[in-house]
Amino acid sequence: MELQVQLLMNTLQIGSVYVLFALGLTLIFGVMKIVNFAHGTFFTAAALIVSSVMIWGVGTMGLSIWFSYLLAFFLALVVVCLIGFVVYIFGFQYFLKDLNGSFILSIGLLLLLNGTFLILYGGVPRSIPDVIPGNVSFLGASLTLQRLVLMIVASVITLGLYILVHRTKLGLSLRAVAEDQEAAMLQGIPFRRVALYGFLIGATLAACAGALMATVTPVTTVIGDDFLVKAFIIIIIGGLGSVLGAILGGLLIALIESFGGYYFDPSTATLAMFVLVVVLLIVRPQGILGHAEK
Amino acid sequence: MSMKKIIGITSGALLALFSAQTAFADETLKVGVSAPMSGAAAAWGLGFEYAAEQAVEKVNSEGGIKAGGKTYMLELHAYDNKYNAAEGAKTAQTMLNREKIKFIVGSIGTAPVRATQALSERQGVLLFNTGWGKSIKGPDYPLTFTQMNTPFEILAPFFGYIKEQHPELKTVAMITPNDATGQEVEPVAVKSWNDLGVEVVSTDRYERGTTEFQSIATKIANSKPDGVDFGAAPPADVGSIMKALDVLGWNGVKIVAPGTSAGTLSKMAGGAAEGTYLGASADFQGDSASETQRKLNEGAIAKLGESLNGITISSYDAVMALKKAIETADSIDPKKVAETLPTIIFESSYGPAAFGGTNVYGSPQQILIPVMITQVKDGKAVEVGRVAPEELKERLK
Repeated sequence: MELQVQLLMNTLQIGSVYVLFALGLTLIFGVMKIVNFAHGTFFTAAALIVSSVMIWGVGTMGLSIWFSYLLAFFLALVVVCLIGFVVYIFGFQYFLKDLNGSFILSIGLLLLLNGTFLILYGGVPRSIPDVIPGNVSFLGASLTLQRLVLMIVASVITLGLYILVHRTKLGLSLRAVAEDQEAAMLQGIPFRRVALYGFLIGATLAACAGALMATVTPVTTVIGDDFLVKAFIIIIIGGLGSVLGAILGGLLIALIESFGGYYFDPSTATLAMFVLVVVLLIVRPQGILGHAEK
Repeated sequence: MSMKKIIGITSGALLALFSAQTAFADETLKVGVSAPMSGAAAAWGLGFEYAAEQAVEKVNSEGGIKAGGKTYMLELHAYDNKYNAAEGAKTAQTMLNREKIKFIVGSIGTAPVRATQALSERQGVLLFNTGWGKSIKGPDYPLTFTQMNTPFEILAPFFGYIKEQHPELKTVAMITPNDATGQEVEPVAVKSWNDLGVEVVSTDRYERGTTEFQSIATKIANSKPDGVDFGAAPPADVGSIMKALDVLGWNGVKIVAPGTSAGTLSKMAGGAAEGTYLGASADFQGDSASETQRKLNEGAIAKLGESLNGITISSYDAVMALKKAIETADSIDPKKVAETLPTIIFESSYGPAAFGGTNVYGSPQQILIPVMITQVKDGKAVEVGRVAPEELKERLK
């Protein structure tokens, strides 16, 4: 029983960040109909900013860890939003609904940004001091307080996005554009502006995931790449463009990783994810909660 | 004399003068390095590049390499292989086909080394490497030489020392990356543990690039082993797994055979790294370090913030071996240099060293240097044992 609780807790810890990251990717696809291979760089940028601001804040300025982290988190979101804005204005807005063009653009951006990070930060993994030290025990399962807070914050952000998409005017516009762009435009919805908002929200979600993960894992200039591969698996399983699908897919992948990694080994669990994708693409290509192309 | 004639004679004289000058000028010999300079194993690649730079600088400042009546100044070209086969192949293409490099003085990672070797052996390029796989050496690969100790040299004395210190060690769980290095290290490690009467209760593999290790830590902690052998995992990954194990309350003997970077390990795992045994690290600040090692190490700390170790310092030793072999062979033909390498004794950072290992690999392609056993104490690697290879002792007699 304790073991099952521990594995379940592991699932939630891993899944909460996967969901957050994949939501951004699926939102961008849903609204803009592009696949953004540079999405992982938003995650990486935020994690790197958090690590450098924390080192500067705590080490050089003598600020408290908490204050340094909050400052770093805020700065990471602002910088990533700015990067997102620039790449949208000078790049993606010319390739809306263009899978081939956006594929080439995003791959180019991925290489450019990864190279820039490497020049700026070097290749050595970075780690930041514990923001919330200590462990907690729950029904025999152990986890760090930091992971628990990360889980809670990620869940709150996910809930916030769900409310934004389903209960606000902007959310309605996003869904309308995702559903049928022409019909949405006929109703007076400014497609390009909504696409920009969707892209910025997606980038911000990736930044949130990166800024949260920086507290619990070594930060490297390619950290976002591993998450990007998982995010693609997640949104294919959940259904491209589906918010609920991304949540479901994220938790399912985390479940496979956690239980599969325990009962078999991590490599077998990774293999199982790809097998699941292949099976799903054969029997339900639109994903669990995705809509079939008309 | 017509103006045309004057110009002709002057041009001819200038051309002859220029040709004579260039004949006596130093020539450049390009040497390459392919190592991970980003990602979890970046600490290895950056230190590796630094040590190679220092060796090249030393060789050049001492007048270069003399062979065939010419003097060659070395020029280093270093590339990031990201510790994977695809990037290894890419860097090999660049080194061999674009830069026309004939001597690779260091390559890290069995997978990228194999990718490089596929080209280097075919194109007659000498390849020094740190690959831990046994399959990369042997009579089929006459131009490939290993520049550091591998599991076949390290594991028996390393595990033996640990077992001596911890007689209560009866079970070990093993976790290693699922790539060429991990796959080749695992069976050797399992056999070495079994030979010591230690049972390996589980062997698990993970993909490089993994960032979440809770599941595997849960599995290891739940099997309650006396020790964990982290196989061929790089320092950042080991640190993450140790941290996760610490949260789960496991606190046994921690063993990292390719363990090199005590600094990175301590940064990642904090207090959980204390007491970890490292098989490829070195205490280059300790009493047993040579003057060269001490100097190189100080420079690395100042530049990279990280001490050198068994992997990173090996590029310095490869450059020194190359210099001696080229001068002994009196040729820069990689094939002649490769034939000469096993016959020389050269001055490595450890002191006199040679190439041997025919009894294990079928041909003398393995560097013979001492195995150093270190332990993490207060975040630093402290040497606790040193074993010199018997073959080297024989050669030096």
